[in-house]
Amino acid sequence: MNVAYFPGCSAHAMAREYDRSARMVCNDLGVNLEEVTDWNCCGATAAHCLDHELMLGLGGRNLATVHRMGFDKVVTPCSGCFNQLKTTGFELKSSKTPRRDIPRVMHLLQFLTEEIGLDRLADLVVRPVRRLKVAAYYGCLITRPRKIAEFDDPEQPSSMDRILTSIGARTVKWSHKAECCGGGFAASETSIVIDLAGQVLEAARQAGAEAIVAACPVCQLNLDSRQKSIEEERGTIYGLPVIYFTQLIALAFGHPVRKTGLRRLMVSALPLLERTGLV
Amino acid sequence: MDSDYRPMRLDEIDDSLQKEIRKNCGVDVETCMECGKCSGGCSNGHVFDYTPRKVVQLVKLNAEDILMNMDALWICLSCHLCSDRCPSGIDTARILDYMRQKAHRQGLTTRPKIRLFHELMLSSVQRSGRISELPLLLKYNWMTRQYMKDAEIGLRMLLKGKLTPYAPGVKDNEHIRRLFAGSTVERTGGKP
Repeated sequence: MNVAYFPGCSAHAMAREYDRSARMVCNDLGVNLEEVTDWNCCGATAAHCLDHELMLGLGGRNLATVHRMGFDKVVTPCSGCFNQLKTTGFELKSSKTPRRDIPRVMHLLQFLTEEIGLDRLADLVVRPVRRLKVAAYYGCLITRPRKIAEFDDPEQPSSMDRILTSIGARTVKWSHKAECCGGGFAASETSIVIDLAGQVLEAARQAGAEAIVAACPVCQLNLDSRQKSIEEERGTIYGLPVIYFTQLIALAFGHPVRKTGLRRLMVSALPLLERTGLV
Repeated sequence: MDSDYRPMRLDEIDDSLQKEIRKNCGVDVETCMECGKCSGGCSNGHVFDYTPRKVVQLVKLNAEDILMNMDALWICLSCHLCSDRCPSGIDTARILDYMRQKAHRQGLTTRPKIRLFHELMLSSVQRSGRISELPLLLKYNWMTRQYMKDAEIGLRMLLKGKLTPYAPGVKDNEHIRRLFAGSTVERTGGKP
């Protein structure tokens, strides 16, 4: 099965391991992710913050390309891109002159849960990630705002928990599943990220998680790369690896650690994986 | 009770901003029942000068001057919690976007660094159609004269291959440039 795939800018650098593990997992599931031809940046936080028309233009070009490629849906691994493309599609479809060439936008998490299904995922598991106790972290934009996202429960999402359970992990119940990590302010107003990502890490620690599992490059970056500063700020050592959900699936499907990109995390996941017998 | 007391009457207040927001954003603030779910949930509300509930009231009060100059416009995280939880369906995040864009067009901001970062991001998209993280961060540090900001994290990320000096751009760059024609970024050339 061929599916249109919108990787987003992070997939080329910061989140390359997310992109690669996503492709690996989909490949195993018989899904070929076909990159949207000559895609452009969705505009990220900046476009919708400063220029609404520009956001619609940037998103509209990508959606039109997907349609021209002959696909009726497009999958993206990034929550930011998901929200931007989805909002653009929503507005273009509901404008006074509604566009009919708008493909359905799906987050990768949604695609795996709704179109592939947990049974098919579980079938391919050769190395269940048992003994791993993790906090599934969804962040803001996978499920919010509900009328745009049209996926999962905005307050208590469960899709990632179900995926992780199907590959053998245990997930904790916690309060900050869908709270904000500080988003795009890591560089421009770092204190906000230290504050909000700190609250997420603290909640995961209190719930007894040994790692956080993410489904967005921005969430992952804020929780992972700022963790040391947060530890200094709060005077608590968290040591919580922040792993992409596709990396854990790839591990469960039997791919070696080297290929899953787990070594690229700033807070190393290797001690935890050794302790739980996964390496 | 003070004999001069008289309840505020919204029907006596100019509603031009309310109408403007209804027309341009399709958001109707009339249905607000002031339950405060938006402010209670707001991710960054604890550091806002005006919380989402107050923002909606300020629209009703036609307090454009306050809305255009408030700090909340620039430190809103766009997490959409306010819009998502509103029982009356008011898209407060959209109102904040709208007011911020309007303030931006007039050159107003309480947070020049945040605005600069947004602009640098967009000028990167304008140039190549995509965002290259490393050049963006270096340029931001240079322009804000924080030469060593995040140098340690940056170096560690560089060693992990998480920052690359170059990312391939869009081939049909003419199309991207057309999208930017007439935008706020085009006018400032990415320079505030």
